[in-house]
Amino acid sequence: MAKGAKKRTAKAKAQPRPVHKLLIELLMLNAGRISEVIEREGQEIFGQANLLSNEEITDYSLEFLELFASLLHAGERIDRRGPEYRALREFFNGFSRRIRARGASLDEFVRYIQFLQRVFLENLDASEDVSFEDARAVIILLGSLFNDIILDIFHIYLEEKERTIQAQQEELRQTSAPVTEIWDGVLTLPIIGSLDSSRAMTVMERLLARIERDRAKAVVMDVTGVSSIDTQVSHHLVQMIRAISLMGAEPILTGIRPDIARSLTSLNIDLGRVTTRSTLAEGLKEAFRRLGVHVGAGDAAA
Amino acid sequence: MARIEGMHLTPLGGGDVLLEPGEGLDPGDPDAYTEPLLAWLQGQRARRLIYDIGNVALVDRLYYAWLLRLERLCRLADVELVVVNMRPVAAFALARALDGPPPFSCALDVDRARSRPPRRPAADAPHAGPAGSR
Repeated sequence: MAKGAKKRTAKAKAQPRPVHKLLIELLMLNAGRISEVIEREGQEIFGQANLLSNEEITDYSLEFLELFASLLHAGERIDRRGPEYRALREFFNGFSRRIRARGASLDEFVRYIQFLQRVFLENLDASEDVSFEDARAVIILLGSLFNDIILDIFHIYLEEKERTIQAQQEELRQTSAPVTEIWDGVLTLPIIGSLDSSRAMTVMERLLARIERDRAKAVVMDVTGVSSIDTQVSHHLVQMIRAISLMGAEPILTGIRPDIARSLTSLNIDLGRVTTRSTLAEGLKEAFRRLGVHVGAGDAAA
Repeated sequence: MARIEGMHLTPLGGGDVLLEPGEGLDPGDPDAYTEPLLAWLQGQRARRLIYDIGNVALVDRLYYAWLLRLERLCRLADVELVVVNMRPVAAFALARALDGPPPFSCALDVDRARSRPPRRPAADAPHAGPAGSR
């Protein structure tokens, strides 16, 4: 009978306390130690690589503890749409952005978040009056909270990466087919790499606008840098040449390598009445000739 | 300046004639223009018809068919057709739609068209028929 009563008392004792209160208690009792450990680990991760100064690490650690405490004070259940959670999320977002801008990887950020989680668990382990149920509730709460933050940051990171890749692709598009006015009324367009539909359209749009703007008389398209040619690429080339003619400029195609010539003939592509020259230099000479410009070795002595 | 319904015609001298299509031009009804236009061109002893397409935002199949018809008409009268002022957007769309080179010449503007040496379309464009035959 006495044994049964003891069991009941133990069970009553094991009733889990509200997890947020438990963590607030933990924070209040061990604030100094937790803050110190967080700072030390922050210096370990970010200080050595000069990603953050000691002052910044201290500021971030204190701000994190403050925001975390206000999130716990907001209630037992964490409201993901509440201002406290949003503030904590913003904090980590800004934090990760800053360290990444200074060259940190996402790994370092994740390591830091995992460490923060571990600090609380270790302190929890040290307190004697925390039952198994309490500990379990704390682990679940911390796990879900910090995992959500890691996921959030990861999504932001991916979006930023995506934007960077798109910007780089756009830059590459711009620089890999630069339309240059090399002489009054003569444009050059060296095409480098592959010519897919989207790139062909971009290049063609820009080229036609330049013909109109610069009142170009001749356009020298150099395909020396085109890696390979297939039906689609040759089709784009033909369309470009035709569009140049429709605008009233003279297209001159240069740099057709033997393998490209072989592909064009085997694909049965007829470039029609297009003027072709072996090199860009020859193409330019032809363009100048049509413009009545004489280019030759001058009297360099002067 | 002469006026045929839907177009302005201006003799520029030296056998050059400028054709500016107006809003009333119906490219779907080329028969309405061929006879009066040919009569007018022959009356002017025209050698070159400069067609200013600058006001045409998009050259679709119907409009292109009208241009082909006009080119055939010009060829019959030994007149060279030169299309000028084609907008980049129109050139872009037309180049994508065409299967072959157009039988008419193109120039950036009227001055460029006039500064070109006269060309006999029949001699220079053996495949001057409608595009589409590959």
